[in-house]
Amino acid sequence: MEINIFQMYPDLLNLYGDLGNVTCLKRRCEWLGIQPNIVNFSINQEVSLQDGDIFFIGGGSDRGQSLIYSHLLKYKKELEELIEDEKIFMAICGGYQLLGNKYIDAEGNKMPGLEIFDYETKSEEGRLIGNIITKNTLGLKPDTLVGFENHGGRTYHDLQPLGKVISGHGNNGKDEKEGMVYKNCIGTYLHGPVLPKNPHLADYMILKALEKKYEIKALDKLDDKIEYLAHEKVIDLYSP
Amino acid sequence: MGKIKIKKLKFKLSIFAGRSISFILKIFLKSSAGALPGKVAMSIYPDILKEVDHRCKKTVLITGTNGKTTTNNLLVHIVKGKYPRILSNLRGANMPQGLVSAFINDLKEDYDWGIFEVDEGSFKRVVRDLKPDYVVITNFFRDQLDRYGEIEKAFQDIYESLEPLHTTLILNADDPLVSNFKKLGKKNIFYGVLENQFCDSNQNVVETNFCPGCNEHLDYSYFNYGQLGGYSCARCGFENPERKYEITDIQYQGENYRFVLNADQNLKDFEFKYGGVYNAYNCCASTSAALEMGMDLDTVTQRIESFEYKLGRMENFLINEKNVKVVLVKNPISLGEVLKILAMDDSKKSLLMILNDNPADGADVSWIWDAEIENVLQAKNLKNIHFAGRRPHDMALRFKYAGISTENFHIHENIDQALDKILYEDVETIYILPTYTALFHLRELLNARIEGKGRTISYFREFLKNLKLPKS
Ligand SMILES: [Zn+2]
Repeated sequence: MEINIFQMYPDLLNLYGDLGNVTCLKRRCEWLGIQPNIVNFSINQEVSLQDGDIFFIGGGSDRGQSLIYSHLLKYKKELEELIEDEKIFMAICGGYQLLGNKYIDAEGNKMPGLEIFDYETKSEEGRLIGNIITKNTLGLKPDTLVGFENHGGRTYHDLQPLGKVISGHGNNGKDEKEGMVYKNCIGTYLHGPVLPKNPHLADYMILKALEKKYEIKALDKLDDKIEYLAHEKVIDLYSP
Repeated sequence: MGKIKIKKLKFKLSIFAGRSISFILKIFLKSSAGALPGKVAMSIYPDILKEVDHRCKKTVLITGTNGKTTTNNLLVHIVKGKYPRILSNLRGANMPQGLVSAFINDLKEDYDWGIFEVDEGSFKRVVRDLKPDYVVITNFFRDQLDRYGEIEKAFQDIYESLEPLHTTLILNADDPLVSNFKKLGKKNIFYGVLENQFCDSNQNVVETNFCPGCNEHLDYSYFNYGQLGGYSCARCGFENPERKYEITDIQYQGENYRFVLNADQNLKDFEFKYGGVYNAYNCCASTSAALEMGMDLDTVTQRIESFEYKLGRMENFLINEKNVKVVLVKNPISLGEVLKILAMDDSKKSLLMILNDNPADGADVSWIWDAEIENVLQAKNLKNIHFAGRRPHDMALRFKYAGISTENFHIHENIDQALDKILYEDVETIYILPTYTALFHLRELLNARIEGKGRTISYFREFLKNLKLPKS
């Protein structure tokens, strides 16, 4: 068995250690006896998206983000079809914002998004920074997700959130929602990176990919002692 | 009273208040006092940095992301070979208050040189009052504290505040962001490190994607670390400027490193006790500055060979006949580089990682995922890996996902417990890599063990630190 993991623009979108999520997926696949193929997709490295099983999009600096936007726009329709076809996506922070309609900065300038999902992000006074704990909506056990958020933009939508905020800010600091889920596409503000400290979420993504490709219904259990100790530590230190 | 008299009085009062605070801190906390005395003095007499400027015949400021403290300590050590009266913030308190604290603790009527490291964010404020004759800029890396456009802001701030100054710039030619300062049209002196055996073939650093001249991708012929290396832009021709001072070769000889320095066409080699390409840059920055400041090449290299680090940013202790190396890690680049040194050390060794998430360390610990922890995979004779601090499990996870066997991982409740284990292992060398706030606690614990006073002192200090004083 093998899984193709596409990391999108790793040279331009690699802030906050988010590529650690790809490292996490890769290692866990290896430990589960599945061959992970990491494929880089970028401006000078265009490869067919059709071969991807899991897609990972991180966030970048303003400069990096505007460069990739005009490039990725060519693939908008294809991405939409892949998401509808239940391929696994994870978009974090800037990547999550990019999938929406637009980003409105502090001066009121509108930067277009890919318009794959019907939401927008507004820059508001002050950044939302800190450790965050949410209760996931995917029915995963344990029910908490932990991470670190650091964003100036506030995202508003009526889609299913990834989690309900227990401690921290989430999408906008107001409606207690964090992230979004549509089919197998996950958007989130959680850095950390999110997957190593939330192995249940990592395995959820791997299992969804295997289910789709090989009709596999369950994964072997890995030794996640350190993973859950790290998870628990965030809860110990930063619960309300 | 006249205005001038009041001013004088305020100045005296500010010094008195600062010194009192400093005295109290030293007696009760055995603390190096840091920035607090300066803060108190500045609140009484805000112009005190102007007084510092007035009392220093000439000044040098050192700024950039990595290597400020080492370069500062090296430069002061070298320049002391000729000028005894130097004022400097050797302990790394690099905001305005820190500079003032250094002044209060080493009060003199005048100094030959003022040599200070300055935080990138404080540069603008410092040069408002302190007019430097030389400015050394080391590099600009994304820090774990501010990786959201703030590197651009720091760059812009320093750039703009340099514009009106009459000063000589001593610039790292190998960092495209730093060499770009030549656009200011000041007198520029460039230094750098040529391709050597410690070079990397590849670096995943976002800065390499943007030519400062035209925003295109930069081509690299070699990487020293981060975005430092030999670069050129095919589109606009932006490339490393010609270096007046360069390290042309680095050899590793047992415990020491041998650097070959080409100083304005004069070749000279010298030994240095501390490893890593980043130290080649620190040495090159400080020798360039010292030579520009009018010292002769022989004295400079003699002085550099006798340099001993006493600050914990890179410090050697001898405990239980083991060589204990303590190195501060504060961002992905420095962490990756230190692990590279560990991987080249063949002695039997253990490693202790101490990760804190206090504000001064960076509350977000995700930066450890940007570091090349994979360098540890090359290490021979590495016995155990210990983890401590506020977030030990996060660090252990990073090591696990680097592909390092967890068999020899040991996660501890606190630093003391980790030391109880690691200092009694059957190894020759112990590497301890703390983040910023862990460093000071660690030093105290190590010194207490060396002084043989057990843990009484550190417990006492811990007690004092946690003591809640009534708010007045
Ligand atoms: Zn160019």
